[in-house]
Amino acid sequence: MTAAIATSELVKTFGSTRALDGLDLTVETGEVHGFLGPNGAGKSTCIRVLLGLLRADAGRAEVLGGDPWSSAVELHRRMAYVPGDVELWPNLTGGEAIDLLGRLRGGLDRGRRAELIERFDLDPSKKGRTYSKGNRQKVAIVAALASDAELLLLDEPTSGLDPLMEVVFQDVVKQLKAEGRTVLLSSHILAQVEHLADKVSIIRQGKIVQSGTLAEMRHLTRTTIEARTGRPVTGLEGAPGVHDLEATGDRVRFAVDGDHLDAAVRVLSRFEIRSLVSHPPTLEELMLRHYGDELAAAGNGTGREPVPAGGEER
Amino acid sequence: MTATTAREQTRAPAAPAQGGALAGAGTLVRFILRRDRIKLPAWLLGITFLLFYFHNVVAQATETEEQLQDVRRFMEGTIGALFGPGYGRDDITTERYLTNVYGVFFFVLAALMSMLLVSRHTRVEEQSGRSELIRSNVVGRHAQLTATLAVAAGANIVLALLLAGALAANGHDAGQGLLFGAAVATVGLVFAGITALTVQVTEYSRTATSLAGAVLGTAWVVRAVGDMLGDHGSPLSWFSPLAWSNQTRVYVDGRWWPLLLSAGLAAAAAALGYALSGRRDVGAGLVAARTGAPEAAPWLGSPLTAAFRLQRAALIWWTAALAAFGFVFGAVTDQIADPDDISGDRLEMFGGSLDTLADGYLGVITLFIAVFAGVMVVLGVQSVWAEESKGRAEPILATATSRTSWFGGYLAVIAAGLVGLLLVAGFATGLGAAVSLGDGSYILDVTAAHLAHVPGVLVMLGIAALLFGVFPRAIGVVWAVLGYSLFAGLFGTITDMPQAARNLMPMEHVGQPPLDGVSWTATVVLLLVAVALSAAGLAGFRRRDLKGR
Repeated sequence: MTAAIATSELVKTFGSTRALDGLDLTVETGEVHGFLGPNGAGKSTCIRVLLGLLRADAGRAEVLGGDPWSSAVELHRRMAYVPGDVELWPNLTGGEAIDLLGRLRGGLDRGRRAELIERFDLDPSKKGRTYSKGNRQKVAIVAALASDAELLLLDEPTSGLDPLMEVVFQDVVKQLKAEGRTVLLSSHILAQVEHLADKVSIIRQGKIVQSGTLAEMRHLTRTTIEARTGRPVTGLEGAPGVHDLEATGDRVRFAVDGDHLDAAVRVLSRFEIRSLVSHPPTLEELMLRHYGDELAAAGNGTGREPVPAGGEER
Repeated sequence: MTATTAREQTRAPAAPAQGGALAGAGTLVRFILRRDRIKLPAWLLGITFLLFYFHNVVAQATETEEQLQDVRRFMEGTIGALFGPGYGRDDITTERYLTNVYGVFFFVLAALMSMLLVSRHTRVEEQSGRSELIRSNVVGRHAQLTATLAVAAGANIVLALLLAGALAANGHDAGQGLLFGAAVATVGLVFAGITALTVQVTEYSRTATSLAGAVLGTAWVVRAVGDMLGDHGSPLSWFSPLAWSNQTRVYVDGRWWPLLLSAGLAAAAAALGYALSGRRDVGAGLVAARTGAPEAAPWLGSPLTAAFRLQRAALIWWTAALAAFGFVFGAVTDQIADPDDISGDRLEMFGGSLDTLADGYLGVITLFIAVFAGVMVVLGVQSVWAEESKGRAEPILATATSRTSWFGGYLAVIAAGLVGLLLVAGFATGLGAAVSLGDGSYILDVTAAHLAHVPGVLVMLGIAALLFGVFPRAIGVVWAVLGYSLFAGLFGTITDMPQAARNLMPMEHVGQPPLDGVSWTATVVLLLVAVALSAAGLAGFRRRDLKGR
């Protein structure tokens, strides 16, 4: 089984900005791959290179075994794309836009089109200029998902969708996954990627800074433990890998690095554990490790805090 | 005690008693002026500059007795009625000719300035959602409309003063100059009022300005037809707001009272606009948006048909407009080509021989239509660039559609549309000429003459395509080529432009049919040049990055 997407040392510059700076991304066939990063990290640029809309300055990109720039048309028959910011033709209806895009790709499944329109609660008879952002997004999603493409490139596909539609979208992507299709899902809605993705790549300033399964990633981060014990816990202070220890009476709370989890729990078990809650690291924490280095260092207790709105955008 | 006073002091400014529906209008006026600090002066100075320019042109065209003869004839009958009711015709002076014939350009420009200004600060703001930001503030229900109309009124008053000043600066009576300025400004006010009304009706700024534009077009047609029916206008003329400004008889025996009608209509339209705006929600129109087909027609499924679908409306409108234009100007051929008392300038412009005057005139009209077809072609290529830069090309090119077939589809549709346009407009012009001259052979000759310009206009298409493919940001350069062609085509002979300079115009090389024979060598060469330029544009587009949003 070959990779659906494989890039190595991909470079793309716009003037003095290096939008992609030696990007190595691999997406295996049949997986849902989360593509995470703050705005301006190069997610959309990367996807446009993979679509042959932009030409890389250096490096190699291979999509479905072909060159995305020179074999764009042949490859596009097997791919579908949802842009992050969908613009529609003001005087075409949503339904016309869906059909046009579907036919240009080489046909779309009528039954699936109807089903998706129904599920996303889209009115296909409205003109493009009358749609809200969320509805424009739905048009692009239906057009892409009603195809039988093997590879879907979804660039922040649910921006502008309400939470209910977000759930529908997740269902549909799960269905695609069950059908064995490959999905590259760029997002900064972390929960969405967490639910859907088999693997995650984190991009920052045009480079992949981390890539792997969620399990692998979690190993790299801290698990938060909250416990009630029969006797006050001692001996965790200064233990290797233990951070942010708070102990009050029979309650204890701390974060522990993945490789020291076993030792910490052994210590804990000596004090009659009454209840034990462990929080696996969220992607928020993964992101904080990469984008909020200073924040984590200075805060010393931010591990469990939700990511501040601006935190992931810096 | 102090606490109470302090609290009351802070509460006082928020009290809605002052201002009410107009609260915040003053601030909004300053806001509009700040946003339009370039646009508005550009309009005002541009229109004033045009008056200076026209004055120059008119002064040179009213020097000799022979020229005055010519002008007099121009101001008569059907052609004259297109411009105005013909006051001052019996004793023509520069300022009479300038204000009574060229005045219509200023009326239209003032109307356009006002329409765009009002729509820009009302419906465009609502459509973009920006006015929600404004309206959620301490801003009254009518503040935005009031501030906009206040700026529009101010702009038109300034325009009136500038035009009066320009006429006075050229040594003409200042009082009459002010009357002309007021005649122009009241047209602006009328269309500011009408736009204040149309923006209430529809949710889309473009529809709103189109509606106001349709009113302007209708007003012109009513006035022109009314003025054709009788000397110095007929009762029908008086149904048009443009007529009221013409009927001031500037520099003849000027009278102010017709402008009261304009002021009344402006006020009535604006008042209706206010009344309607109170009956609708922010962002909504009085007329709900229409829905369309939930599924695409079966034929809509290739790059070519997609380009056709998106260009269709523009092609139809351009063809209809230029056909109507051609018919009208064809139908007056006998008047224009009357060999009695023709001035040397005009004779030279129409081919230089009294025997072929009609053919010479029709050649000029044909060239004129061909250049306007060039405008359509360039706008077509610019709309391709808009597709790309607004992000609508991206989803198409992410399907199994190659860049060549996408852009090539547009080029094919535009080229075919051009041929269709020149065929229809040529037929209409020829029909008009045939009726006017009582000679049926003109239908075929003039249609063929129009088609002979296809290669020249295709070269324009090629230039635009090359710019789009290689350096799309510079696509505007092609307007210079078009403007140059119009100038060289119409005035090249009169101004003794050297042949080398005229050869830069693509349309020059086929000759000026139906007067001249068509050069087949030139036709083939132009076609080859057009194909080469388009191919280079396509090749360039295939190699460059697609512009993202």
